Parts: sequence; C-alpha cells; structure tokens
Amino acid sequence: MNSLWNNIFRSKTDEESLAGFIAKVPVFTELEKRDLNYLETLIHVRNYHSQETVFEQGDPGSGMYIIRSGHVVIFTRDNQDAEEELAILGPGDFFGETTLASPAPRTVSARTAEGTELLGLFRSDLLATAIKHPEIANRILFGLTKVISERLQTATLEIRGLQRKLTEQQH
Amino acid sequence: MNLNKAHFLLFYLTMTAAIASGLAIFSSASNITVLLRSAVSGLFVPLLLSMVSAFLLDPLVSSLEKRHIPRTRAIFVMFFVVTALLFFTGSWLIPYGQNMWNSLLTDFPRYNSQLIAYLREAQLSWQARLPFLEHYDLTGTVRNTAEQALAFVLVETPKSALKLGSLMILLPIFTFFFLRDGTTIMRRMVALAPNRYFEMAHDLSFLVSRQMAHFIRGRILEAIIIGAVVAAGLSVTDIRYAPLLGLFAGITNLIPYIGPLVGMIPGILIAAVDLGIGAQFWWIVILYILIAQVILDNFILIPVLISRVANLHPLLVILAIVMGGKLYGVIGMIIGVPIVSAFKIAFIEVRHYRRAFSLPDTGGDRHA
Repeated sequence: MNSLWNNIFRSKTDEESLAGFIAKVPVFTELEKRDLNYLETLIHVRNYHSQETVFEQGDPGSGMYIIRSGHVVIFTRDNQDAEEELAILGPGDFFGETTLASPAPRTVSARTAEGTELLGLFRSDLLATAIKHPEIANRILFGLTKVISERLQTATLEIRGLQRKLTEQQH
Repeated sequence: MNLNKAHFLLFYLTMTAAIASGLAIFSSASNITVLLRSAVSGLFVPLLLSMVSAFLLDPLVSSLEKRHIPRTRAIFVMFFVVTALLFFTGSWLIPYGQNMWNSLLTDFPRYNSQLIAYLREAQLSWQARLPFLEHYDLTGTVRNTAEQALAFVLVETPKSALKLGSLMILLPIFTFFFLRDGTTIMRRMVALAPNRYFEMAHDLSFLVSRQMAHFIRGRILEAIIIGAVVAAGLSVTDIRYAPLLGLFAGITNLIPYIGPLVGMIPGILIAAVDLGIGAQFWWIVILYILIAQVILDNFILIPVLISRVANLHPLLVILAIVMGGKLYGVIGMIIGVPIVSAFKIAFIEVRHYRRAFSLPDTGGDRHA
C-alpha cells in the first residue's frame, strides 16, 4: 500500500474494524452499535505464535476466546497423555464460552495451528460491566445463554440418539 | 504442562526478586539513581494520596456513569461537588482550626510541666519502695523527649505548610487522571504478561483490586466514624481542643493495635491536667476505651466494614511500623501497615483462587 497516495484519513471500514467483526459473533447478536464500541474497550487482543498453547485441560477458566485470524486445534488429553483431536476452529469461531458465567477448570486443551490473533472476553470484565453498564451486560448474557442453550439441546439430542443405539445393541 | 504449584512458586519468587532489586537499585549510590531519587522525592506522598482518593471516589463516579453520563463529564461533576463542599466547610473550619492549633502550641509547655510534676511524684514514691530503680531518671528522659518533640513540630509546621500547597495542586490533577484512566493503566500492565499466564493474571488483578478497594474504604470510613464519635463525646465535657483530639484519635485508629492506644494518650493527658481526676476525667476514659474501642470498633464497625480475614498478626504490625519508620520516618510508619495489609490481601486472594479451581496440589488426584 502506497502510504503517500492512499487516503489515510478514511477510517477502517465496517468489515475491517473490530466492532464489525464482533457483531457477527452469535454471542453478541443482541448488541447495538453503541454497545459494540464499548465492547471494543472490553476485549483483549492477544497474538499467538504457531503451535502455542492457548490453555490446557484443567487450567482455571475465566473467559471465552474468539478467533480473529488463524486456526486453533481443540483436543483432549487422556491419562496416558495421548491427544485426541476434537475440532479445528477458524476465523469467526469462538470457544471457551462456558466459563464466562461461572468459574470452572477447562475441560479440553487448545493449541494454535499457525500464527493466530485471538480476542479474549473475560469474566472479570463482564462483572465490571454488569456494575457500570448493566444493559450491555444483560444483552451479552442473553446472547451467551442462547448459544449455550442451543449447544445443550444439540448435545441432548445426540445423547438420546446414542442411548437408543446402545439399547438397540443390547437387545 | 499444567499450571501447578511450581508456577505459583515461580510467580512469588519473581515478585519478590522484582521488589528487592527495585529497592536495591533505588537505594544504590550511583549518580543515575541519585538523580532518579531526587526527581521522584516529592511525588510519593501525592501519588499515594491521589490513588487512595481515586479508590474512594470511584463508586460515586461509577454511579454517575450508570446514568449514561460519559465518564469524563461525570468526574468533572463530582470534582465540582467535592470542591464546593470543601470550600464551604473550609472557610469556617480553617480559621477555627488555626486558632486551636496555636493555642495548643502555647499551652503545650504547661501540660508538659504538669506531666513532669506528676511523674516526679510517682518516681519518688516508687523509688522509695523499690530502691534499685533509684538511678533511672524517668522524668529527665520524658522532659527531654517532650522538648525535642515540641521543637520538631515548631520547625516542621511552616515547612510542611509549603508542601501542603504543592500537594493541593498535584492531588486533584493526579486524582482526575487516576479516576479516568486507572483501569486502563492496570489493564495495559496486566496485558504485558505472557499469553500462557495472561488469563490468570487478569483474573487475579481484578480480585485483588476489588478486595483492596473494599479494605481501604472500610478502614477510612471506620477512622471517620471513630473520630466523629470521640469528638462528639469529648465536646460534651469541658475539655478544650475536642475536635483536634477527635481528629487525632480517628487518624491513629488506622494503625491496628497500637494506634488507638496512642490516640488516647493526648486526650487523657489533657484531661488529667486541665480537669483533674474527677467525674469528667473518668467519663473521658470511658469514652475512649469502652465506647470508642470496645463497643463501636470491635462489635459494630469492624465486623460490618472490614472482613477479619485481612487482619494482621500483631508481630507483623510491629515489624511494618518499625521498617516503615526506618525507611520514611513518621509517614513511613503510618503507611507501612496498609502496605503490608495490601500484600496479605493479595496472598489471600491467590490462595482462594487456587482453591476455587482445585489446582493440582490442593485438589484431588486427577492423573490416577
């Protein structure tokens, strides 16, 4: 980009700006434009190298991560330290949101597959927002509950399917 | 590899090493640090005071912010209100206080000589009973210390009045910026942590600052209430300087265990000299000990305002006071205890955090 001739006064377009990116995440669908600006101050931008651990199974969990760019591998370690890959997430995906409301150890591990930029939203910031701007916190929590409920429903259906298959196998 | 006990140990060691090396560099004799020290010298007290007042005023600003007033405007509104309040109370309080302080200074030699007279009588009586104490001249040492203290106060007061002027200018400016950007500064500093520990550092910084804010507000509120109660109780009697004594009792209450005792001494001394050992004297003693300390402090204020968990062991308090005194003189003695309390709060929060997540050494056996 030729900085001498380019329009340096044009502000970042909606697609490029952080607020525009966040608005597309399902957890934040209820937020209005003004809330998104406040959310930008709340979010932490972290840069990771390739093959860097984001968190390990058993670590204290206190927030969710949204992938801005790059890919993250979600896996579990069993007792013999063997890794079982669960998913590979890409830009726009998010993970770890179950610890946003209540503290719990992480149930899976996450590692970056390449140089990654992650956006972090943590529980302590959400608690501070609940005191300073309760409406914004309410909308975030609504979106969070929606996402978690959908995941719960999908998981319940899958478990019932598996249970049915198990009973069928036994007979 | 998991975050485990070794990581926490490393964290503590790093913090201790950082503080120790910071202190060592600060007190080393090289030219650069001499310049650094002289540049920083006048700033410590204003910075500390403005951080404390930012802590205190933060809830008010937040409640204004909740009503959709932008933060900067909210801070200005609050400053305006506080300044107006201070102006009105100051305009009649300052001449009144000035008179009282001057008359106290002129009266001091009288109280001093009375105290010496009492001590001399007491000394004669116990020297008669316990002959081996004959060579210990208590009156002489007390007289010398009292004279030194009076000279010190007389010399220091005009000097500290000048420092007070610069304090008045710096304090509002620092407080404004701490109120507006305090959280942003903390976040930027925590964001320096490496990715692996960032989440934990962020969590801990929030928990520790919340506990510390609660502690500071509770302590200061307690000091104000005790000072007001003592001043009110004393003004019922004929004693002079009741407001000053109340103020002194309130401020010294900030130091645990020793502070209240020290706060009682001037009051009881002045009462003994001015009013004699009579009904009013005993009322004053009862006021200081029973009402202020036992009922108000122990049963009402401390359980409500301050959790007992953050209390310091008396040995730690003495160590903090002595070390603070050696480093910074009288002011060091006063701020030494809150600083050690701050450390203790940080440790307690870290321990809570580990237990909440049942990290490997406190939790069950996960790799069975």
